[in-house]
Amino acid sequence: MKRTLLAAVLALLLGGAQAEPVPSPLSNDDIPRILAFGPWPPPPVRDPSNRVSGQPAAIAWGAALFTDARLARGQALACASCHQPQRGFSDGQPVAQGLERGTRNTSGLMDIGQQRWFGWDGANDNLWAQSLRPLIDPREMGGSLASVATTVREHADLRDGYRRAFGTAPGGDDERVAVDVAKALAAYQETLVSARTPFDDFRDTLQRGDRAGIAAYPLPAQRGLALFLGRGRCYVCHAGPAFSNGEFHDVGVPFFVAKGQVDAGRHAGISGLKASRYNLLGSFNDDATRASATSTRHVVQEHRHFGEFKVPSLRNLAATAPYMHNGSQRTLREVLRHYSELDENRLHADGESILVPLRLTPGETDDLLAFLDSLNPAR
Amino acid sequence: MTLRQGIAAATLAALAVAVIPAWACGDSLGASTKRIESAQWLLVYRSTPEPIPVGRHFTLDFELCPRAGATLPADLRVDAQMPEHRHGMNYRPSIVSPRAGLYRAEGLMFHMPGRWELVFELRDAKAAPQRLVQSLQVG
Repeated sequence: MKRTLLAAVLALLLGGAQAEPVPSPLSNDDIPRILAFGPWPPPPVRDPSNRVSGQPAAIAWGAALFTDARLARGQALACASCHQPQRGFSDGQPVAQGLERGTRNTSGLMDIGQQRWFGWDGANDNLWAQSLRPLIDPREMGGSLASVATTVREHADLRDGYRRAFGTAPGGDDERVAVDVAKALAAYQETLVSARTPFDDFRDTLQRGDRAGIAAYPLPAQRGLALFLGRGRCYVCHAGPAFSNGEFHDVGVPFFVAKGQVDAGRHAGISGLKASRYNLLGSFNDDATRASATSTRHVVQEHRHFGEFKVPSLRNLAATAPYMHNGSQRTLREVLRHYSELDENRLHADGESILVPLRLTPGETDDLLAFLDSLNPAR
Repeated sequence: MTLRQGIAAATLAALAVAVIPAWACGDSLGASTKRIESAQWLLVYRSTPEPIPVGRHFTLDFELCPRAGATLPADLRVDAQMPEHRHGMNYRPSIVSPRAGLYRAEGLMFHMPGRWELVFELRDAKAAPQRLVQSLQVG
């Protein structure tokens, strides 16, 4: 009987022989899938494409640069203006507001070092290229390779930070200096790892076979987890310890950004990736083996990628509203309503057949919210 | 016969001799191998890592051994699909062949848990492509 183990455990813990057994909504078949959501935190990341990844001097300089408005045109804003620590390094706005208004939601940065692709469209295959992009995007910080390099060379504290991080003074090659600034920023962001959560404690008790810990995980969260693994099939894309498979899917969120304008998502992202001087196949990759470029070397661009966006992590969601690539859902309840009432006509005809309207009851919605809440650090 | 044609013929003859017989097929791959058999082919493969993880790249080392007078194909491709989801991988594997009949495919990734069909397609100018397919439950 599939439910025997968890039901028995819960019966023992929630009242012993005198009480009515409390049936667990989870089954023994669910356990391997639950264990696959961990362990957490993952081992520290070292990015072979970034020669200062994991180095304390670069991390410290990257942290200082992250809040330094001198890198932006007119010293108008810093990375931290949009990636605010108290909001999970997002900004609380539907779409980004740099020097100009953008078209996509500002992604949080927690656990970003674990990712394979960066940005909603995966147009970058490494964190330093992703960090360089806003510095020189006229809609975001509005600088240029030359302005970033000149700023570093002209300010004594920045020159000193560069020297401590890279072991030499900034040279005369603007592009090389600007990429190094981005590599220091990346080294800092790799240290942003979200804290353990009640779900992680539950997952680890299952792995240890430690029955004492299981009952601490609330039943509504267990029911939500059962739905996540069962009828909802959410785990198919929200897989692994980060609750994301790191790839791209069309979930029926409109990709029109203005009249006559569409956001092509992953399809355009792959075009941008292949055209980028800063991808892992290029000369700025510090990994001479290019083993880090496996994904870039083999990724394919197909029509089905049009309108696909990256599967976000489900950790730390309480801090990062609003949701979806365009920030169109203000709350997680609205996100669940989207999946409950999914408009299948918005999905690609040649796309995936996995998504169907879930038709969630109010109770099921509450249970899924309880489960998602358990993916936030304990408060 | 020109010199070039002679060299090509000699090379093909050497390769034919080098092809591993079915009874020894895959011996060089070590343990944890899987097999796909048809009337004409035996294919033995090993994945790294094993088992194949969800959402991470893996490689396949495999050996293709002809049966019943078949000869090695001129071209060989590896692909995979999720029939229930109507899509394949987001990556196109590259294949190298260190010797006749022995191959390594790199760059594969199963980005979702579920049932995948691993497909080895054997291509030859003289015949229609042949497919060797194995169904795998991943994750």
